[in-house]
Order: sequence, then C-alpha cells, then structure tokens
Amino acid sequence: MTIGGLALLGQQSDPPGRRLPAGGALTLGAVIALTGNANLYGQDQRLGIILAEEWFQGLPRPISGEAPHPQRLRLRLRLEDGGSDEATAIAAFNLLINQGALALIGPTLSQQAFAADPIAQRLGVPVVAPSNTAQGIPQIGRFISRVSAQSSVIAPLSLGEALRRDPTVRRVAVFYAHDDAYSTAETAIFLKALARRNLTPVTVQRTQLADNDFQNPITAALQLNPQLVVISVQAVAGGNLIRQLRELGYRGQIVVGNGLNTPNIFPICQRWCDGILIAQAYSPELDTPINRTFLRLHERAKPQQQPSQITAQAFTAYQVLAEAIARLQQRGGLKAATLGQARSRLMEELLSGSYDTPLGPIRFRPDGEVIQGRFYVAEVRMQPDGRRGRFTLVRDLQVGGGQP
Amino acid sequence: MIEAALQTLLNGAASGGVYALVALGYTLVFSVLGVINFAQGALFSLGGYLTFLLMGGHISANGALPGWGLPFALPFAPALALAAAGAALVSLLVERLAFAPLRRRSAEPLLSLITSLGAGLVLVNLLQLLMGAEGYAFPAATLAGLPAAFSLGGARIRSVQMLLLLVCAMVVLVLTLWLERSRGGRALRAVAEDATTARLLGIDSDAMVRLAFLLSGALAGLGGGLAGVSVSLPGPYFGISYGLKGLAVLVLGGLGSVPGAIAGGLLMGLAEALIPSDASGWRDALAFAILFAVLLLRPAGLLGRRFVEKV
Repeated sequence: MTIGGLALLGQQSDPPGRRLPAGGALTLGAVIALTGNANLYGQDQRLGIILAEEWFQGLPRPISGEAPHPQRLRLRLRLEDGGSDEATAIAAFNLLINQGALALIGPTLSQQAFAADPIAQRLGVPVVAPSNTAQGIPQIGRFISRVSAQSSVIAPLSLGEALRRDPTVRRVAVFYAHDDAYSTAETAIFLKALARRNLTPVTVQRTQLADNDFQNPITAALQLNPQLVVISVQAVAGGNLIRQLRELGYRGQIVVGNGLNTPNIFPICQRWCDGILIAQAYSPELDTPINRTFLRLHERAKPQQQPSQITAQAFTAYQVLAEAIARLQQRGGLKAATLGQARSRLMEELLSGSYDTPLGPIRFRPDGEVIQGRFYVAEVRMQPDGRRGRFTLVRDLQVGGGQP
Repeated sequence: MIEAALQTLLNGAASGGVYALVALGYTLVFSVLGVINFAQGALFSLGGYLTFLLMGGHISANGALPGWGLPFALPFAPALALAAAGAALVSLLVERLAFAPLRRRSAEPLLSLITSLGAGLVLVNLLQLLMGAEGYAFPAATLAGLPAAFSLGGARIRSVQMLLLLVCAMVVLVLTLWLERSRGGRALRAVAEDATTARLLGIDSDAMVRLAFLLSGALAGLGGGLAGVSVSLPGPYFGISYGLKGLAVLVLGGLGSVPGAIAGGLLMGLAEALIPSDASGWRDALAFAILFAVLLLRPAGLLGRRFVEKV
C-alpha cells in the first residue's frame, strides 16, 4: 500500500506522466529576452506572440482579402523572461517545463539555445525557435525546430547586393562579437561568401558581446581604408558601432547581419542607420492573405510602424504550434494522452505540416530545420528627424527555386 | 607610426578618463571608511538615465510610466550637472541606509560590502522597473555645433569622447586642487589619514564621510552621463561593467590613493588601447592580466602605500 501510494504520488508529481485535462486549456510556454542586451529582440518577439495569440483566440474578425479565421483553440500562453544570458534562459525553460508546458517558443539568442535546448530535448518537450539562426540549433535533437532560416542561407544575400552596387570593392573590414554563438556562426558565413568572391578582409575586428565603445577597433580598421564594412553583432552594440563608424568618418557601404534586423536599432544609430543593407526572412511588402492579417494586427498594436522580421517570426512560431495542435486535436491525437505522449505527438505533427505564414509558405525538414523559399534584401531609410526609419525592400529573392 | 601612436594614446586616454572618474569615486569612500562602495556602478547608471530624462527623454513602452517625460528639456551641460547632483544625493542616501547603521554598531567592514552591493542591485532594479530594460540613445543633436569627430595629427577621435576626456581631466584637476588646497579637502584627508585624531582636532568625521559619498556619487553620475552620450544607455546594468573596471583601477592605482586612481585609470585605458586591434575581443582578459602582473610586482598598487598592521 505504501509503495502504491508512493507510485501514485510520483505519477502526480511527474508532469510527463500526467494525463491532459479533458477539455482543459493547453499551455504553451515562451521564453524571450525581456531584460539584458537582447531585450530589443524580446520586445519584438513578445508583440509577435501576443498578436498570434489574439488571432487564434478569434480576435479581430478577418476582413476581405485576409486569411480566414483559424479554428479557436483553448491555449494558455505563459511568457517567461529568458534574460540575455544562458543561466536565465535555462531557469525559464525548467520553470515552464515543470509547469507542464506542452511546447516552448524560444529562447531569443542562439547562444542561449545551445544551453537551454538540450534540457527540453532531454525531457521530450517540443521547442520552436523564433530567432535562432546559428548553425546546428535543430541538430541539438529531434524535439528542437526553428522558423528562423539559418544564417548560411540569408547572410550572403546582402553582401551580394553590396557588391552588385559597387563591383570595385576590394577592401572589406569585418566586425563581430567573438563571444556570441550567433555572431561567430554568421561571420564564418560572411567570410566564406567573401572568399567565394575572391575577397580577403583587410581586417577582422573581434569585439565582445557587451561592448558599446568601439573607438579602438574602428580607428584600427579605418587606417586600412575599407570600402565595405560587414557587421555581425547584437542590436544595441550594432547600433552603436554603426553610429561610431560614421562619426569617425567612414562613408562606404555597411552590410549588417541578422542581429540588427529590428527597428529598435533606429533610435540608437539614428540618422547614421541610413543606407545600411540587411538580408531578411520577412518583408512587410509580401502580399498574401495571412501577411495582410498580420499587418493589420500589427497596425492595431503599433500604429504607423512597420513590423520587424523578428515580430513576424515570433508570430509564425506561435502559428505553427497552434496549427499543429489544431490538426492533432481534430484527429483525436490528444485524447487520453499523457503530457509526455502529447509532446511527442505534437512534435511529429509539427514537422509533418505545411504552413502559410507571414514569412511566406514554410515547412520543416525532418531534423526541424525550416524550409523557406523567399528572402529579401532591405535598405534602411531614415526619416529626416533621424529617429524613425524603415527597412525598404530592394530585392526579392527566390532561394532553392522559391518553393519550400 | 606617430599617427598610430597618437591614435592609441587618444583611444586610451578617452576610456581611461572614465575609469579614473569611477575609481576616484571608490577612492574617496575607501580613504575615509576603508571599505568599497559597490553601489558605485549603479550610481553610474543612474547618472546616465538622469541626464537622458533631464534632456527631455521619454520612458519607453516597457517602463513603469510609458511615454512619461519631464515637462522641460535642458541642454546637455546643465542636464549633466543636475544628473551628477542627483546621483550625489542618492549616494548620500546609500550611505545613510547601507553604511551608517553598520558604522554606528562598529560592524565588520565586510558587512558594508554586502549592504552596498545590495543597495546597488536595488537601485539598478528600480531603474529597470521605471525605465524598462531597453536601450536609450541621446538625440543626435546633443552636441550640436560640434563636428562628429576631430582629427589631431592624423588621429581621429569623436567629439563626444574628446569632451569626455576634457571633462574628466578638469574634474580630476579640480578635485585634486580641492583636496590639496581647501580647508574641506584637508579635513577630508585628515579623516582619511586617521579618523580618531581628526575628531580630536575638531573635525566632524561623520560630515566628512557624507561629503565623501556626495562627491563619489557626483563623480559616478558625471561619468554615467558622459558615457551615456558617448555609447548610449544599453540598459540599467551598463554602469556595472564600468564599476567593475573602476574597481580594478582602484586596486591597480593603490587603494585610497587619488593620484593612483588617475594613473591606474589612464594605464588601464592605455593597456586596452595597446592590445592589437584584431585581438580586441580579448581586451578585458589582457587588461586584467596586466593588473595581475602589476599586483604581483607591487602588491600595494602603483601609488599605494603598504599598510602595516600595528599590534
């Protein structure tokens, strides 16, 4: 009897062994950076996830030309601050997993994903990364996937645009944060793309994740008269780096990596942001019903502001999970299932589906890597007040035939 | 060659000046109390945010009062001065709450380290609560009228960094003169030398402690405002890294030594600037390795005195 009692107690305290409540709400967890250096991304992500939640809760009603309303689901969203470091992300993952989250969205940074994702993988909890672009994230395990195309696909596109605009470029300076997984991975891709064009950087400046004063590396690089600067750092540092580069007299082209793919850099580099080139996995100019819906939702929340790629990707992360859950529920796949079984079935369903998202149509490879067909190159155009700007589409590219 | 050397010197002096300001703040408190005020980094952050608000900045969407701002916008110089004064008052509050009660009970100095660390963390978290965690940048027109950068003998330096360097130099000079020549400065030094004897000579040592906290808070606030204009405010914790660097400078220059804090700051800045640019990502590691080496050779720091414990 004692053993039986202990076994029952053990089953009740073990979330994967618990049965899903019949007709009860399912919990989705989101771990995003609301504090620390990466909070600029976290703000965009929170907005994207909340907009998707509204949409799946039936708000607002679709209007003509928009996507039809999705099936209403009983989903409860738990948003946790993952900070900008590995320890906070791990703590948030553990908390949400122990609270019985069916799946997780996050974390914000690739650096955090390499630390936190193995925990979810070990416990069999599906993770959809909305913004991790470093190589090797889905390969952490079968429960890890992402909707953010990896840097190797996107990063070279903006470089191609810069070299198309000025084919005489021979002297390239590269700046990156050597203590950040995203930045080092993306820089390796930039360097490979340069090598394919027979360009060897005149200098590669290694900065640190928390740096904001770049006087030393900039003056060293400018002594070598670069014609093109390539930057792969996080948003706040990137905004500062661009501003300081321009203040110190650099007038050439600037190509930036995915870390600067947020309008939140505009108040930091201000008028000096003007003209920077960036490759994107999302364009507000994509004319599809779901993107029109997304744009309207965004306009309601942030009038007269363009949604960022990161917001669109976060919306997409929630959308793919919600759609996979809806399909699973329709087939009765969650009936009488334990949380552990539901998590496992959800992961299979997620990977087998195709999704029409604001990013365009996407699906997943069996290892969880996103397959996306369309990418964009944008140029930042700042308004005369120097505080507001927009990513202006300069090129729409079909990669791999354009079909996911 | 000369151009490169001049560039290194300017780069080093610009960052070293801020380190010296922070270290001077630590030094003033350490010299009168023999303890380190770990809230110094938080006061640095506070100075940055106060300057921003006084210049007409508004709290962002994630702050406690989204969109709130002061009904006026001051030019940079008065905003910086008022921010320094604000940080000085908060520093005095830290002294009253985190140091004075323990001092009255003759508690272990180690306890003051912990209470000041706690006060610093509370302050930073209050800033985060009020302002949100996101970065803030000062308007591009903050230093309107000045060119974006200066060229000196072929070396380039941003105007804001040149300003930062000049203000730091001026503050250090004024503070040194005040400590050397003024009645108040001499009283402060007397308390630093021997509080009991100073008290016997009629000096109010408690007042001198409060003065030391006021001055150190003002220095931190000044440094935070200047650094904020130079590199924006990346988040409420941005002062903490300056605080840590200032702490290293304090030890490098010699605990409690004003000239040591200045020399240590400049040396630390120069050491960072001398690190080859393509290894600049290792800057902190190399700078602290230099600190380690100096302390092995001179345990009391560059200009510090060896303390002999009398038994």
